[in-house]
Amino acid sequence: MAYDLFLGCVIPARLPFLEASARLVFEKLGIKLNDLEGFSCCPDPTGIELIDHKTWLALGARNLSLCNENRGVMSLCSGCVETLKGVNYSLNKSKEIKDEVNTILQSVNKSYDGKVKVKHFAEVLYENLDKVKENIVKPLEGFKIAAHYGCHYLRPSEIINWDDPLDPVSIDEIIEILGAESINYDLKLECCGNPVEKSDEELSLQMIDNKLCAILKAGANCVALVCPACFQQFDFKQRTLNKEKDSNYNLPIFYLSELIALAFGYEPEDLGFRYHRNRPNDLFKTIGFNT
Amino acid sequence: MSVINFKLRNEVLKHNASLSYCYQCSTCSGACPVALETQGKYNPRKIIEMAILGFIDKIIEEQQSSVWLCSTCQTCVELCPQNVELTEIFILIKNRSFDAGKVPEAFISQGKAILENGIAIPYSRATNSRRESMNLPEIKTAPVEEIQKIMRETKFEEKIPEEKT
Repeated sequence: MAYDLFLGCVIPARLPFLEASARLVFEKLGIKLNDLEGFSCCPDPTGIELIDHKTWLALGARNLSLCNENRGVMSLCSGCVETLKGVNYSLNKSKEIKDEVNTILQSVNKSYDGKVKVKHFAEVLYENLDKVKENIVKPLEGFKIAAHYGCHYLRPSEIINWDDPLDPVSIDEIIEILGAESINYDLKLECCGNPVEKSDEELSLQMIDNKLCAILKAGANCVALVCPACFQQFDFKQRTLNKEKDSNYNLPIFYLSELIALAFGYEPEDLGFRYHRNRPNDLFKTIGFNT
Repeated sequence: MSVINFKLRNEVLKHNASLSYCYQCSTCSGACPVALETQGKYNPRKIIEMAILGFIDKIIEEQQSSVWLCSTCQTCVELCPQNVELTEIFILIKNRSFDAGKVPEAFISQGKAILENGIAIPYSRATNSRRESMNLPEIKTAPVEEIQKIMRETKFEEKIPEEKT
């Protein structure tokens, strides 16, 4: 089994440790990831798409035109997945749009038919739950995890088209399989606030503050998520809030692939937790993990 | 007095016909996390109403109901009983706001970064050495000239404002 790997901009440049954990996990599962040359920004469905829809379509279609693995392309980022699925959706819905985009692509000697399958890495993991289960050597006992799905992982369901957009189960089920406990909390499906940072920083901070507060209130001791924009918002903004708002957050934020890698027996030192702003060392000590 | 401009309404309808299904029930505003947090300063129902009425000056020039505060979480889209695709409609309104120069600076910066590098976050030497230390492969991104050619074809390049001196 193999997929073309679409890394996008944020993970490889800013959060490469998340990429490292995902590569370890997929290698262990025997799912090959092909690195391709020549991708641009997906482009950002919370950036470029909002200022120029046509450019978003054209660059997205160009990226998809480079893919050649027949199982499709897989991304580690919910934003990239939304863009790539969204471009497919638009092209397949309207011949006029497909023709217009292909006319633009002609200028760089490319074309795209709208047929490449696109998957989120968590979707691929969910489809391979049995294999995930087989590879667990160190169950995540004591981890009380608040799952944050993030908006673009689920919605719009017409385009994303897999887990329930308002009552999702995939990440919770993966968490439980790993031997951890998934903690329910208020505001579970609420936006982390990252996309509005460009328009209103104060509002963006308030939104993540509300979520962190609800998560702690519910008794979780860490967060699991699947989107680099959400990761930055959850991990980086705790310090900002502590400085500006008199809070005292120090909640470890894990990418789903990091948790799976831990359960597969990889050592915390191999996983780049030293690059997290809220390091999980205290959590590991408290719950007696890896001691 | 507001000026009714059917050109905008027709353009929105062409982009997304679901605009005309709206019967102003407010399910969107009631479910919107930003409307709640901003006490209605951002109000999706109101933006849709203004789009139906063709109040281009209110939505774009005056930025009433602050379309840029939409977080694109798409909760309203999932819940709308009339299947109005609000986020899609707001994308067109944001596109037109960008054309009119009514756009937060951060969007322009991202556009410039992609125009100059093909990617939103260019690789620094620190990034590359961190990648190397984690045994991650070197990333070969798109040829910038190719991306620029596409962004000229879509007329994006000419829309990016010149540096202020």
